[in-house]
Amino acid sequence: MDAIRITNLVKKYGQKLAVENLSLTVPTGIMFGFLGPNGSGKSTTIGCMTGLLDPTSGQIELLGQPFTTDNAAIKRRIGVMPETLGLFEPLYAHEFLAFVARMFGLDEPTTRRRVTELLEALELTDTSKTLSEYSTGMRKRVAFAAAVIHSPDVLFLDEPFESIDPAGVSLMKQWLRRFTEQGRTVFITSHVLETVERVCQQVAIITQPGKLVWQGDITALSGDGAVVCDGQEFRALEPLFLHLTGERYADLKWL
Amino acid sequence: MNTALIGELVKLRYKLLWAKTRSRNGRIALFLAGYLLLALLITLLSTGGFGAGLLAVRSGKAEKIAQGVLAVLFLEAVIAANVLGFGMSAVFSETELRRYPLTAPDRRIARHLTGILDPFWFLFFALELGLMVGLYVLGAGSFWFGLFAVLLLFAASYLLARVVGLFIDQMIKRKGGAAVLMGLIVTLALLPSVVAPLIGKNPAMVAEVARRLQYTPPFGAAAAMIHPGLAGTYGLATIVIWILGLTALLVWLENRPPQRQAAESVKVEWDSPFDRAGALFGPQLGPLVSHWLSFYSRNSRTRTFCLLSPALLAFVTWQFGHMWKTPHSFFIGALGTFPMVAFLGPSRMSTNLFGYVGGAFRRYFLLPVDPGTVLRAASYSALLIGAAGLPVGLLVWLIFSPYPFDARMPAMLLSTGLTGMFVLHGFGVWVTLFNPRRGDYNSNFGNDLSLGGNILLIGGMILAMFLPRVAYRFMPALFALNTWWIWLPLPVVALAFYLATLKSAGPVFVSRREKLLAIVEGRN
Repeated sequence: MDAIRITNLVKKYGQKLAVENLSLTVPTGIMFGFLGPNGSGKSTTIGCMTGLLDPTSGQIELLGQPFTTDNAAIKRRIGVMPETLGLFEPLYAHEFLAFVARMFGLDEPTTRRRVTELLEALELTDTSKTLSEYSTGMRKRVAFAAAVIHSPDVLFLDEPFESIDPAGVSLMKQWLRRFTEQGRTVFITSHVLETVERVCQQVAIITQPGKLVWQGDITALSGDGAVVCDGQEFRALEPLFLHLTGERYADLKWL
Repeated sequence: MNTALIGELVKLRYKLLWAKTRSRNGRIALFLAGYLLLALLITLLSTGGFGAGLLAVRSGKAEKIAQGVLAVLFLEAVIAANVLGFGMSAVFSETELRRYPLTAPDRRIARHLTGILDPFWFLFFALELGLMVGLYVLGAGSFWFGLFAVLLLFAASYLLARVVGLFIDQMIKRKGGAAVLMGLIVTLALLPSVVAPLIGKNPAMVAEVARRLQYTPPFGAAAAMIHPGLAGTYGLATIVIWILGLTALLVWLENRPPQRQAAESVKVEWDSPFDRAGALFGPQLGPLVSHWLSFYSRNSRTRTFCLLSPALLAFVTWQFGHMWKTPHSFFIGALGTFPMVAFLGPSRMSTNLFGYVGGAFRRYFLLPVDPGTVLRAASYSALLIGAAGLPVGLLVWLIFSPYPFDARMPAMLLSTGLTGMFVLHGFGVWVTLFNPRRGDYNSNFGNDLSLGGNILLIGGMILAMFLPRVAYRFMPALFALNTWWIWLPLPVVALAFYLATLKSAGPVFVSRREKLLAIVEGRN
């Protein structure tokens, strides 16, 4: 069973096309990188896959079941860390996480235990600050904790590693590896290609407007191997990405 | 002084104003503001300022009328600037301006120049100028003295508005500051009704007060407009002294380090009163209701409004009860104000349920519940906060009622209170869906309701004040205590409306969520 199956997904904002006929399959139990330049439709695609946005057309299946906005049963099995984090600023971290845990149906003892453990593990134990007073990195950690608190089967992480210190990133990567080892799936968007190269088994690259240009296995890159695309060999993700999305060059003499 | 860069910042201020017109709502606002303001400006200039000038000269009381008009404009400008939040853009705050290569004095000039060049201030300037021209044309004033007086008064009113704004801001950030401020507002609101009888009993007081008012900017400006000689010079000097004093005060307030309430380590609480209140709504709605209650109970403006509204409504009831001179006029007045008791406090929340959550709005659609549940929970929370006002209102009535106790009176009041609560919160849901606005959770002053929210709130207040009187005129029997039972079905009908609203609003919420998301996240 595939964790995610998207067929001919189209999303338009008015007349503007944001995702064009995207079809994608993500097998269960892997870490999947979803890459693309700014404005290429990554967050829109995640929005459609998580119930935030209505697709204009196309089908989305999550965990083998058709997914619609009001499919609460599937929503209970997915975790999402939005790019904008989606935090309720005036609340304290423990209040926010407890709210999310309760909404996902965790019982009270489990809620309390998991909130406490997550706050300690992510070094968010300063209870004198509300979320609005946290640094960007701390806020990101809270959003990450909210995405995983209910042990979802599929985890969507939109730009998870930016703004987090190296120790935090290392911890998160360790958790995510264990997550996939247990047969669960992680769907990541990121602009940090080195990290994606190291943690993901497969990637899909899209260009504006949400058009899939390449999908494949990149496990070879973490060793000494290479990925072949358009008859060329690529030994790192960055040249492959630039090849597919178009390298930009502007020589500013004054700079 | 870096005049070029300051000039660019002023231009940016207007570019940002213009940029708002790129959205549909912005274009509507531009149309209304542009055409109506132009029409208003012309009308006000001619009939307001200029007309006041004519009246002043023809009545032979030029100075007195000029004093009155200028004093009203001066106070109006200060109050409106703070209540409506004009000329105080966060884009040009000290923190934001620090990113530009400007010195500290340049930043101060840039900040205040962008503030004073707000179109709102021009309206007051035009009115004052109109009065000056009116006086000059009819030969009752000097052009140059008048012009200087208007310019100086304009600067003084802006400075006072900023001083008041900063004072309020700093007070609110202090522990207990919101309560002190609320006390000040209530005192100021009640002052005229306390002072009026005193003045009536002691006419000599008027002359004494008038003599002291000579040392205020509007009276100084009036003197300068009418008397071009020494008296006028004294008038101008008075305003200059005020400007110097206010500038010094403003600089002092601006230089004061922000007084943050001491950060206290919060004990992790798993079962707060909000959680217990939420639990009453069951396992699905409970966490949402509890979350909303926590979210809004931390909002200092909601707290202040909730504390202020019973006092305000009691004052309105008392005022109208005095004015009407009908039998049981206080009771009839209370029947009008009671429907607002459960709405006025949480009105900002009720008419814009999602407007203050910002980017967190999207999280509601990631939760494994029907989005309609989120809407219902939000409305129930606003209703719950408002409902807490009803027992307080009834208690206030029972303590201060001028009539002997009759159980039918509180029963009728409770009926109208519940009716108003369900109807107004029901309409609040529709305003939330069709006319939401991105609000600033942390702003303490200024009107940040949408047009629909303002119509509901102001319309509700107007109805509260006048509907009972109109109804009493045509159907006095309705207000008789022996027909008290007539009022009892009203809450039931209102509840039916509220429940029907929630049921039908759920699907609308889902279908409009992308639009709401764009507005709430500021991408509209």
